[in-house]
Amino acid sequence: MRLFNFLEIHTLKLFFLTGFLVFNTSLIHSQEAMEDANISISFSDENDSKTIIAKALDQSGLPIEDLELYFFVKRTFSLLPIGDSFNVTDENGLLEVEFPKDLPGDTDGNVIIITKIIESDLYNDFSMETIKNWGIPVILEDPKVEKRSLWAAAANAPITLIICISSMILAVWYIIFYILFKLYKISKITSIQH
Amino acid sequence: MENNDSKNDSRRQFIKKISTGSLLAASGLAITSLTSCKESSKEKTTLLTTDGKLVEVSNSEISSLEHKHITPKESRQGIPGKKWVMVVDLGKCKNAKKCVDACDKHHNLTPDRPYIKVLEMKDNEKSSPYWMPKKCFQCDNPPCVKVCPVGATYKRTDGIVLIDNERCIGCRFCMAACPYSARVFNWAEPPEENQDELYSPETSIPSKIGTVGKCDFCPDMLRKNMLPHCVTKCPNGVIYFGDEIEDTVTNGEETVRLSTLLKDKAGYRYMEELGTKPRVYYLPPVDRMFPFEKDTEESSES
Amino acid sequence: MRNSNMKPQLFNSEREKDLLGHLVTTSLKYKLWIAFLLLIIIIGGYAYYRQLTLGLVVTAMRDYTSWGIYISNFVFFVAISLVGSLISSILKLNKNEWAKPLTRVSEIIAVAAIICAAVIIIVDMGRPDRFFYVITHLRIQSPIIWDVIIISTYLIISLLLLYLSLLPDIALCRDRLTTIPKWKKWMYRITAINWTNHPKQIKLLKKVSRVLAITVLPVAFAIHTVTSWLFATTWRPGWDSTNLGPYFVSGAFMAGAAAIIFTMYLMRKHLKLEAYITEYHFDKMGRLLVLLSLVYLYFNINEYLGPAFKMVGVEGEHITELFVGKYAPLYWFVQLGGLVFPIILLIIKPFRKPLPLFIISLFVILGAWIKRFLIVIPSLQHPYLPIQGVDESYLHYNPTWEEWAITLSSFAWLLLIITVLIKLFPVIPIQEKKEESKTVVEQNTLKNETF
Repeated sequence: MRLFNFLEIHTLKLFFLTGFLVFNTSLIHSQEAMEDANISISFSDENDSKTIIAKALDQSGLPIEDLELYFFVKRTFSLLPIGDSFNVTDENGLLEVEFPKDLPGDTDGNVIIITKIIESDLYNDFSMETIKNWGIPVILEDPKVEKRSLWAAAANAPITLIICISSMILAVWYIIFYILFKLYKISKITSIQH
Repeated sequence: MENNDSKNDSRRQFIKKISTGSLLAASGLAITSLTSCKESSKEKTTLLTTDGKLVEVSNSEISSLEHKHITPKESRQGIPGKKWVMVVDLGKCKNAKKCVDACDKHHNLTPDRPYIKVLEMKDNEKSSPYWMPKKCFQCDNPPCVKVCPVGATYKRTDGIVLIDNERCIGCRFCMAACPYSARVFNWAEPPEENQDELYSPETSIPSKIGTVGKCDFCPDMLRKNMLPHCVTKCPNGVIYFGDEIEDTVTNGEETVRLSTLLKDKAGYRYMEELGTKPRVYYLPPVDRMFPFEKDTEESSES
Repeated sequence: MRNSNMKPQLFNSEREKDLLGHLVTTSLKYKLWIAFLLLIIIIGGYAYYRQLTLGLVVTAMRDYTSWGIYISNFVFFVAISLVGSLISSILKLNKNEWAKPLTRVSEIIAVAAIICAAVIIIVDMGRPDRFFYVITHLRIQSPIIWDVIIISTYLIISLLLLYLSLLPDIALCRDRLTTIPKWKKWMYRITAINWTNHPKQIKLLKKVSRVLAITVLPVAFAIHTVTSWLFATTWRPGWDSTNLGPYFVSGAFMAGAAAIIFTMYLMRKHLKLEAYITEYHFDKMGRLLVLLSLVYLYFNINEYLGPAFKMVGVEGEHITELFVGKYAPLYWFVQLGGLVFPIILLIIKPFRKPLPLFIISLFVILGAWIKRFLIVIPSLQHPYLPIQGVDESYLHYNPTWEEWAITLSSFAWLLLIITVLIKLFPVIPIQEKKEESKTVVEQNTLKNETF
């Protein structure tokens, strides 16, 4: 039941958020005649350099010149910018951005590349996500496996430490119990009559 | 939308493991790309699963899990696939102490014993003093965890060193062992508020008398893919936070590659020679944004 | 005894009368002494009650000085407890016959001190209600766990050490003492475990005593070395030292020897043992104290010279604070009054007479306690990062009355345990004179066995 409740709340939030955004964009629409740009992306992987090639066309299919595009890689908290600080299309509407060679991806090496138009004077804001296998595959440690170390949990103490301590304890307590046993034997020796 | 490598179908089973936090963030991003938002259930969102893979799922499939209470036992395992790291740019800090206030508020601390301290440092007689925000360094070779007799403090796979107040016996050996004096003790009964909340080591609330506390990198926020309070509340973007595996840190405004940042600005770890391998890096106090001034707390409404 | 109409106690020999006498008669002085100790214990109990209800906030310890006099006291008690092994093991194995009358008292001090050490460490805990987590959630990597293991082991061993040498005398108490209450008779009967001076019993006891005397040595060294590791495994200035183990052990032997001199002087005076603990014993103990102090002095120089020569960072600040700073009066009192002057004075023979030696050993004990204060507290007040942004009270450490009351009551406990043990058991081995006859009997039994 609680789960459903949360689902409901969550969906509500989502609607609220989307509604807000639609409202915003429509406001901009009313101010100026803005149009959508058609952005397409291709990837080139030649000569050891990875390049994102973006092509911008307007609604009539003509290339857009001087359009500023932003490229990001999606990260946990935010978007990591890639390319130069300003990336602008040329007269053919083309734009090349070099993708860093050593950027970590997921365990398969996948990264989410996001292409955006942000606050352009002529075109609507735009965002597109693309998954590309260009990252360095990361090797994750199994969260359930903890290496033996001095800072590990009790169960993962270094073997040598366990052996050293337990052998010392055993040795000393063996002697203690040996003495106790001998004391028991002493108590069992019957007295000689004087 | 162009998709070269969509591997969504095979990975749908992972969706249920995804936390609400990543959902919120991810769906928020997805919305910006919508041309028509009414049919949001048809839209797809890309998420990182617990085993570190990107999957694309349609929003309708996302079954949101409630914001779960993390029990002390669950808190012993780190957030999967993460290695949290912090970078503090000493050139930007002007002792605004917003991080301290935010941390105190979030962890219900009294001002006389905060988790974060902004220290006035001076490396030698000739050099200029600077402010150094100091938290727990979440060391990879943690002296505090090594000495704990009962495993009340532990190193997680995501790099965080946490304390379980329900396990701690209050011997304070960890406080003696920490070379950075990062730990504080609940000498008296902690403040009354939040006492009826369910305790979790990830929130450190409500803390218990006779036990140890410290900065914890706010794992409750991290589970929601949100930055720790000290990072977001800093007016000057001093503190960068992120995932070492992703090689990315952000101060909330600027997002940079960790390796680039440390390389370009000569990042260092405090007292590297102790071998504790801190997860908090510092950038030297050069190219200062502010002149060094004492008592700027009142005038720091930036 | 209260029952004056009872038959007077009869003894077989003058020696027995002298050494068992105090077991059957209770003086007013003794009662007053016990009442005094109980009063201190009750005050300490109230202080601990306050600490339990209000938390450790009643102490002067705060986030920087997070360990206080409880821990220094703990280290002191552990140090004192080493004396049992010193006298009854080292001197016994070395066949130092003169030390025989002192073995019992040293074993009693050892037992009392190790019990107090184990208890005072619980007082320092923020959550004593979770004490058993140390067993249920034990982490073998922690030096505290090593300390818990070694302290409990040493507690058993020092009890055994006391008991083994006491056994024939308990049997004697059981056989001789007729005018004692029933519970005492019962106690002697149970603890004497059918001891009849049977040659086989004597032979077995001798054998296990020797095994124990050897075993106790590494354990005794380990107990104080492990305690030193509680400090040496951290990064603190003054603690981060490889010298700490032998430094602690040698200091413990010195403090222990002084504790014996202290106790034997009082015992001799109040139990009229002048014939058994003679000036010769004091002279010998004085010489032993000089030897042990010289060893400790050597490790002291070792401990401070390196850091004082290099003056590295906080280590240098720490040394400065000790040598010429806030703690200088205490530090020089300890090093001169508790170490150098005793050595110089005790080289001169007249100072090894009972009273001067007693006074000197008092200074050594006081110095040993303050030394442990100086080991624990100033180190904590010199962290690597400056102490800023905390409450004013976090900067100093002046123990509160609760801490002093609890500490004093721990001393009262120590003295109470020693007093009660001395009251219950003969404090000087009575049957040592049977040594010669015993060997004859032994030879006979050996012959009997071979034929």
